[in-house]
Amino acid sequence: MDLGLNDDELVACVSCGLCLPHCPTFVITGRDTESPRGRIALMRAVQNEDAPVTDDLIRSMETCVQCRGCETACPSAVPFGHLMEGTRAALAGAGRITPRWQRLALKGLRHRWLLMAGSTLLALAIRLRLVPTRRLGLPARMPLRRPPLRTSGNDVWLFTGCVMDAWQRDVHLAVQRVLEAAGVGVEPTGAAAPCCGALHIHAGLESETKDMAHRVMAGLSGDDRPILVDAAGCGAALKDYGHLLGTDEARAFSARVYDVHEWLAGHLDELRSRHPVAPLDLTVAVQDPCHLRHVQRAHQAVPEVLAPFVTRVVALDDDGLCCGAGGAYSVMEAELSRAIRERKTAAVARSGASVVASANPGCSLHLAATGLDVRHPLELVDQALSSSRA
Amino acid sequence: MVRVMARTLAEATRRVLGSRRRDTRSPAASPSADAGDAALVADLEAAIGADRVRADAAARYLASRDASIYREGNAGPVCYPGSTADVVACVQVATRHGRAVSPRGAGTGLAGGAAPLGQPVVLSTTRMDNLIEIDLDNGVAWVQPGMVNLDLSRALAPHGVHYAPDPSSQAACTIGGNVANNSGGPHCLAYGVTSAHVLAVEVVLSDASVVTLGDLTAEPAGYDLRGAFVGSEGMCGIATAVAVRLTPNPPAVRTMLLCFDDVSDAAATVTAIIADGIVPAAIEMMDQRCVTAVEDFAQAGYPKDAAAVLLVEVDGAAGGVAIAGERIAAIARRNQAISVRTAADDDERARLWKGRKSAFGAVANVMPDYYLHDTVVPRTRLVEVLESIYEIVDRHDLLVLNVFHAGDGNLHPILAYDSRVPGADERVHAAGREIIEMSLDMGGALTGEHGIGVEKREYMSRMFSEVDLDQQARLRASFDPHCRMNPGKVLPSAHSCSDIGALRASDAAGVWG
Repeated sequence: MDLGLNDDELVACVSCGLCLPHCPTFVITGRDTESPRGRIALMRAVQNEDAPVTDDLIRSMETCVQCRGCETACPSAVPFGHLMEGTRAALAGAGRITPRWQRLALKGLRHRWLLMAGSTLLALAIRLRLVPTRRLGLPARMPLRRPPLRTSGNDVWLFTGCVMDAWQRDVHLAVQRVLEAAGVGVEPTGAAAPCCGALHIHAGLESETKDMAHRVMAGLSGDDRPILVDAAGCGAALKDYGHLLGTDEARAFSARVYDVHEWLAGHLDELRSRHPVAPLDLTVAVQDPCHLRHVQRAHQAVPEVLAPFVTRVVALDDDGLCCGAGGAYSVMEAELSRAIRERKTAAVARSGASVVASANPGCSLHLAATGLDVRHPLELVDQALSSSRA
Repeated sequence: MVRVMARTLAEATRRVLGSRRRDTRSPAASPSADAGDAALVADLEAAIGADRVRADAAARYLASRDASIYREGNAGPVCYPGSTADVVACVQVATRHGRAVSPRGAGTGLAGGAAPLGQPVVLSTTRMDNLIEIDLDNGVAWVQPGMVNLDLSRALAPHGVHYAPDPSSQAACTIGGNVANNSGGPHCLAYGVTSAHVLAVEVVLSDASVVTLGDLTAEPAGYDLRGAFVGSEGMCGIATAVAVRLTPNPPAVRTMLLCFDDVSDAAATVTAIIADGIVPAAIEMMDQRCVTAVEDFAQAGYPKDAAAVLLVEVDGAAGGVAIAGERIAAIARRNQAISVRTAADDDERARLWKGRKSAFGAVANVMPDYYLHDTVVPRTRLVEVLESIYEIVDRHDLLVLNVFHAGDGNLHPILAYDSRVPGADERVHAAGREIIEMSLDMGGALTGEHGIGVEKREYMSRMFSEVDLDQQARLRASFDPHCRMNPGKVLPSAHSCSDIGALRASDAAGVWG
């Protein structure tokens, strides 16, 4: 089967194995079939040696969290994320992965009213205890009502996205308050950019993702304002439009995208000079979302931005190993996802922190489901700012 | 050869397609690879649990290879034992079915030592990765063989000690694999290789009995069977627990980067440092092409314009380290160093080492494939040897990146090439052979630390006499009389097990068929 992968990218792996300790699934299972090196060898076997696409081979691809921790560990700079996305696109195209119900659910994310209404229904069902939240990895409580998004200026866009906007709008509002405290006028993207397509590309739905990328770009065109993103997964997806679409327009769009911490790290002085702040008396462990650390490679901005606002920021000692959330992965591969999460919660316990700061909604929901107190880093900053004001 | 193999594999692959469809939702389930294996797999599953056995083509395909370019391995069922008892059970089942057993750690070996021949039962040690016990009073820790080298040193760090041998692959490679290959590493110059750090090994022999070789006393009585076992590449039994020596962390470390316009100046500096009586913890050399590849990945501040760099580390008491550092700097300047830099802090030091240790992988920034040799030459002849290597490689129209443990003359010439180019494989093998022969002619040895495996098996006769090889085969047979442990490795076929012919024949089928 032709997976349509770039042969130069595919042969770049020299099988050295330095990725192994950075792969969450290999660390859990110890099996080569669940390792980046193994997955690449299987892709090669299929594409170049005509190996059969067996069910076991498909499992090997499906179990990948797509955290891309292997990429930062790789001395050969193998673009594993692109290889895996290409492989999944080929497998999904052949109907071998991503079942119909999942495709339908992902389609729903493109329709904002449907998502909002569905989320409210889900929130209601959760309150009525009709949904086994723990088993499905859903939050124990979801908002029934969402305060409206409002525009405070036109210095920057704040990308609000789909699920996060429906489930965690409070975070967007906190982020917006922090930006405003730095003297920045914010326009939330809302309906102008309904969904970035990150979950779709992970599921191998390439043409859908391209449609969505076009729609987002059209919604945010007309000026060159920075587009700030407070969800690491969405930020990574938006920054990849240049590669996904391969056009100058898309590359120019991607160049406007910043993780909000990345952007704020450059504006920290404005924030601090306007508002002398008493730091919150908290020890906060920073969890690096993979799509911030391994894909955007901007994770160092989080502790930098957070440090002035809490008494102590601690790093986890697990080399940024994935937490197992992986967007829809926590639902599709629940068992592995939880085994991976246990290592992360153990690292949090070792750190002695009482609060975990996570800059990605997927990670934050996944970790909070274990009972940890997980907040968006800028929620903590917002809290410090507002308590200083009071 | 690789091309022919690929064709065979592809052919075999097509035949198997469709014959083994099954439920996709049971990752751990493992029906037999083929009818002949059904009973074997069932027995293995009964012995250690179904979730610890995989017999599907994808798992076997990946267990058939390591980090070398050898691709003729052919794994049978792959087991993931969790304990010594599991290993014993697997060996018993394999024996009952007349099958050999090949151990596998992280598969980072560079000589095909973990590439199974003849569809043996593969025992992956990745699930035996615990630190069993730390005994600080006696400076010993017992570890399971699947523990990753770097994880061990990290676990020991709070106690102020570490495990000294540090192969470049230490972030991924396992202690069991280190024992099998008697692995070295940059810091083995001062501290010695694996055999100097393994006090005792618990081993499952081919008759499934469990023995402990060596003990924790300073002067064990009797023959040093532990010494015979370390470096035996899995052919004398399977290590299930290893007692390693704990080395106190040095109070002070100084890491220096010396850069030169000429490779021979760098080589002369190495010789002068040792002649001066200094014993650095490590002296590593990289040539310009290697530095360029490494710097692109690690951004450690290596100068891409130097013809050669030396990474020198001295450790010990602070006063001694400072004096040694100054002496080394002076020697380097006397030998026309264009710059001498000392790492300012741990961070810079870590970056420099990260660059050095990612050299093999970073080759892919230059070419998609590489073939690596590991010969050892007398340190005093380094310049001559390097010039010969460049000459050989030029003649075969190939690229070479040189990175090596200069302090002990252990070369790692990396032949970088693209196997998709017609004739490239042949040229690489021809150049490799010439490099080995030249190294041996200079009074060197076949391998410093990567082992013989299958890749260098054929060169053994070049280094050892018939009598030597026969004696080695007899030593091996005294551990494993029926050649059931990782058969087909190290010894040239005329000297190894009688069943090699049969093993080879079954390999032709390939894992997909």
